[in-house]
Amino acid sequence: MLKFIVRRILQSIPTLLGITLISFMMIHIAPGNPARLLLGNHYTVERAAALTKELGLNKPIWEQYFIWLGNILHGNLGQSYVYNEPVTSLILQALPHTLIIVAVAVLAAHLFAVFIGSIQAYYKDTWFDQVATVVNYFLYSMPSFWLGVLLIIFFSITLGWLPSGGIVNNQLSNPGFGDWVRHLILPSATLFLVSVAAWARYMRSSMWNALLQDYVRTARMKGASEFRVVFVHALRNSILPLITLFGLSLPILLSGALFVEEIFNYPGMGLLFWDAVMSRDYPIIMGVTVFIGVVTLVGNLIADILYGIVDPRIQYK
Amino acid sequence: MSHVIDVESLSVEFNINNQFFKAVRDVSFYIDSGETLGLVGESGCGKSVTSLAILQLLTKSARIHGQVQYGGNDLLLLGSDQMRKIRGNEISMIFQEPMTSLNPVYTIGAQIAEALLLHKNISRKEANRLAVELLHKVGIPRPNEILKDYPHQLSGGMRQRVMISIAMSCNPKLLIADEPTTALDVTIQAQILELMRQISDDFNTSILMITHDLGVVAETCDRVAVMYAGRIVEQGKVDDIFFHPQHPYTKGLLNAIPKIDAETKRRLEPISGNVPSLTRMPAGCAFAPRCPMVMDKCRTDLPDLIPIDDGHYSRCWLNNLKEDSQ
Repeated sequence: MLKFIVRRILQSIPTLLGITLISFMMIHIAPGNPARLLLGNHYTVERAAALTKELGLNKPIWEQYFIWLGNILHGNLGQSYVYNEPVTSLILQALPHTLIIVAVAVLAAHLFAVFIGSIQAYYKDTWFDQVATVVNYFLYSMPSFWLGVLLIIFFSITLGWLPSGGIVNNQLSNPGFGDWVRHLILPSATLFLVSVAAWARYMRSSMWNALLQDYVRTARMKGASEFRVVFVHALRNSILPLITLFGLSLPILLSGALFVEEIFNYPGMGLLFWDAVMSRDYPIIMGVTVFIGVVTLVGNLIADILYGIVDPRIQYK
Repeated sequence: MSHVIDVESLSVEFNINNQFFKAVRDVSFYIDSGETLGLVGESGCGKSVTSLAILQLLTKSARIHGQVQYGGNDLLLLGSDQMRKIRGNEISMIFQEPMTSLNPVYTIGAQIAEALLLHKNISRKEANRLAVELLHKVGIPRPNEILKDYPHQLSGGMRQRVMISIAMSCNPKLLIADEPTTALDVTIQAQILELMRQISDDFNTSILMITHDLGVVAETCDRVAVMYAGRIVEQGKVDDIFFHPQHPYTKGLLNAIPKIDAETKRRLEPISGNVPSLTRMPAGCAFAPRCPMVMDKCRTDLPDLIPIDDGHYSRCWLNNLKEDSQ
């Protein structure tokens, strides 16, 4: 097992290098000049040239890449052009905010998808299954930014129950835990709703397939209750696709959180990335890209390890 | 001797494209304590459906009629909670496919202990101890180690032994064995049959042995019911069936067995034609289109299951002819 993990980590190094190389090239090929955006109203050709030189952007692109890569290897993600702060500390400030909404959404979506998908499979083609399917497709076809706007209109503007954005109410002298939780609800709910629909569909087909297997008949023959048949015997056999989705969902949610954070003006990784792209703050863009690359690889590694725990037939060599 | 189970006029219908078709028609039989009844027939004749109907393990699309008398109750009228107390406890079943009948993600020990824990008020530790004992009883070497293994680590024969130990865990009164040896090698088949016979003797368990293999019947059964196209066509003691078969279908089955001691090299005699499909069941006797002795009456009227001898019945118009001529 340990050997497997070490080998997977070693294998992921070239992948990560590839990700950084391609992202670095694409960012520099894309139009937009950081010096011009940074200078704003103070822009003159001379100042721009001086700033470009200062930032090292006048060097050949491959040289810039190797300088950046060299810094990375020393644990230095660079300095933000706009905030003039280390990228690492900016990421560490933003990350907890994103992690909390993503964690709440992923956990709730998994539990709910497993439950609803299983019940749907058990009652396949009944009215319950059909209603759930319609709701699923409705949510599935809904882009996260659109759903977020709808939720704001309904819960913040019409009903006035929940705040429309931010992490705490700045007008309160002592916002407290309750206020913080209230700010989490809508962004988490948006991420939850756009994920749960697809996952419930996967769970439904996987569970339906498991319920047809011979060992399910054996479980019934033993006198196991229907609850036990579904949630003990069939569930563990049908959960593998959801574990794959769990691994894949981490990076997808972090980038999906990009739209959600923008809509809810929520200062997490997505908003950091969004603002960096808008101001051509290359070090932040690259820092977040590397971070998401690492999360993708870690997510897949976690999924692979979970396979082996759930299904004894999967072994690591 | 009282009957352990009494199946009366059991019929099972399946919904195919919103039409109901009968897979099992008016099947009646009983099994006495400690007795083994063979239910014999070709694939698709309704023998597995009959057994699954007894335990109510059929899909919801099946409609079941008739009675299954067991322990003073009609099993078909019991609620699902009451039925669960009987399944695996008083009536249990082993299946044709040992490779897929065990849950791949749980250990052998957990799967045996589950059956015990569901029905007996014992601790997990006690259940594990009994599981070792059961594995030992079904002839599995090193039961303490096998307990921790997963099904994919065992061979087909070993898995079928594990299935038998699960089925026997609560000491059931009736064991339904649905083609228990079909998927196994011939040498393993003999071992499994021997094991079942031994269990039947030791525990006085009644067995409903479902098979298409007359060799298995000869090895294990006391009485035999021959099924064709959802109906029992002949029923009797093993000797009656093997030495005095009455129904042309039974005779056909017996003729189709290769005989190793035949003096001349004789060709096997297959029964020509095919089993009629559920959706195109002939009127009259279902065997008529394939029967070498067919008469006009067979194509229009269904014969009754009439007694030939003590406990020997046959569903054929030829028997009526013989009676008439006597």
